[in-house]
Amino acid sequence: MANVLFKGTPAHTSGELPKVGSKAPDFKLTAGDLSEVSLANFKGKKKLLSIAHSLDTGTCADATKRFNDFAKNHPDVVVLVVTADLPFAQSRFCTGEGLKNVVTLSMMRDRHFAKDYGVLLTDSPIAGLCARSTLVLDENDKVLYTQLGPEITVEPDYDKAFAALK
Amino acid sequence: MADITHRGNPVHTIGELPAVGNTAPDFRLTDANLNDVSLADFRGKKKLLNIFPSIDTPTCALSTRKFNEYATKHPNAVILMVSADLPFAQQHFCSVENTHNVKTLSMMRDRHFAKDYGVLLLDGLYQGITARAIVVIDENDKVVYTELVPEIRQEPNYDQALAALK
Repeated sequence: MANVLFKGTPAHTSGELPKVGSKAPDFKLTAGDLSEVSLANFKGKKKLLSIAHSLDTGTCADATKRFNDFAKNHPDVVVLVVTADLPFAQSRFCTGEGLKNVVTLSMMRDRHFAKDYGVLLTDSPIAGLCARSTLVLDENDKVLYTQLGPEITVEPDYDKAFAALK
Repeated sequence: MADITHRGNPVHTIGELPAVGNTAPDFRLTDANLNDVSLADFRGKKKLLNIFPSIDTPTCALSTRKFNEYATKHPNAVILMVSADLPFAQQHFCSVENTHNVKTLSMMRDRHFAKDYGVLLLDGLYQGITARAIVVIDENDKVVYTELVPEIRQEPNYDQALAALK
C-alpha cells in the first residue's frame, strides 16, 4: 500500500509498483479494437507505461499528448497508455486530439492489471481507478524505472522517464 | 444466465434480470460528481434504469437522447443511465449533447451492480461490461417492468418502458 494525494486529500493504493530490476507482471488489457493485448505482444521493444485514472481529465490528457510527441520521435519505443476508461472513450479522445503514436489500453474487463501493478486506488473520490504512475520496461520486460505520482493531479516526471528509455 | 446476441454472435450474461414483482436489488453506483448513489436515494419515486454497454457507442447515445427528451417533459421522472463508462465520459457526452435531464451513474468502482442485476457480459467483444436492458422500479422499489434487449445493437422498447414508468 502506498500513500498518494488526490487534490490534496490522502488516497491509498492497493499495493506497490513492481520493483526496479524485477520482471514486469504480464497483463491482459483491451485495445481500441476490443482485442486482448498482453505484455508479450510488445516483446523485444522498450516500453513506457503511462498509467492514469482517465483520459477525459486534464492532467491525463496533457500527459498523453506529451507521451505521444515522444513516441512520434522514438519509433523504437512503445508507449502504452493504461486507464479504466472504456476503449470507446480512449478512441474518442485520441481521434479528437489527433494522437496516433500511443497505444491505449483499457481495463474494461477487470481490474487485475491495477492490482498486479499495485496502482488500484482503494479510497478517495476516484476509488476503483488507477493512481498516476509511469513505468519503463526494457526489451526483456525488466523494470528500469518507476514513478508513482505523489499527487494524482500533477503531471509525471517526463525527463526522468525519457532518460530511462535512452 | 441469458442468451442474447451482439452483432449476430451469441453472448451470455452472468444471470437474469430481477423478476417483475420482486424487490429490486440495492446498488452502489457513482454519479457525475463522483458521489456514491444507492437505490435508497430515490425511494418514494418511480425510476427507470436504462442499462447499456457504453455512452460512447451509437445505440446507447440514441437511447440517452430519447430518454432525455421524455425527462425534459416529465420533470418528476427519475431516469438513470447506468454503464461501465467512467463518470468523465458520461459527463463529456451529456455536455456535448446537452442531455442534462437524465442522471448518469457509473460502475467505475466495481461490477457489483452488473452482477446483482444479471447483466454482466461473460463473453464476446463486450465481456466485462453490460448487456442492454431496461428495469422500471416503483416507489417501493418493486420491479414493475424489465426488458433484456435480445440484440445488443438494437434500441430498447421505449413505448413499453415509458408506459411502465407512468
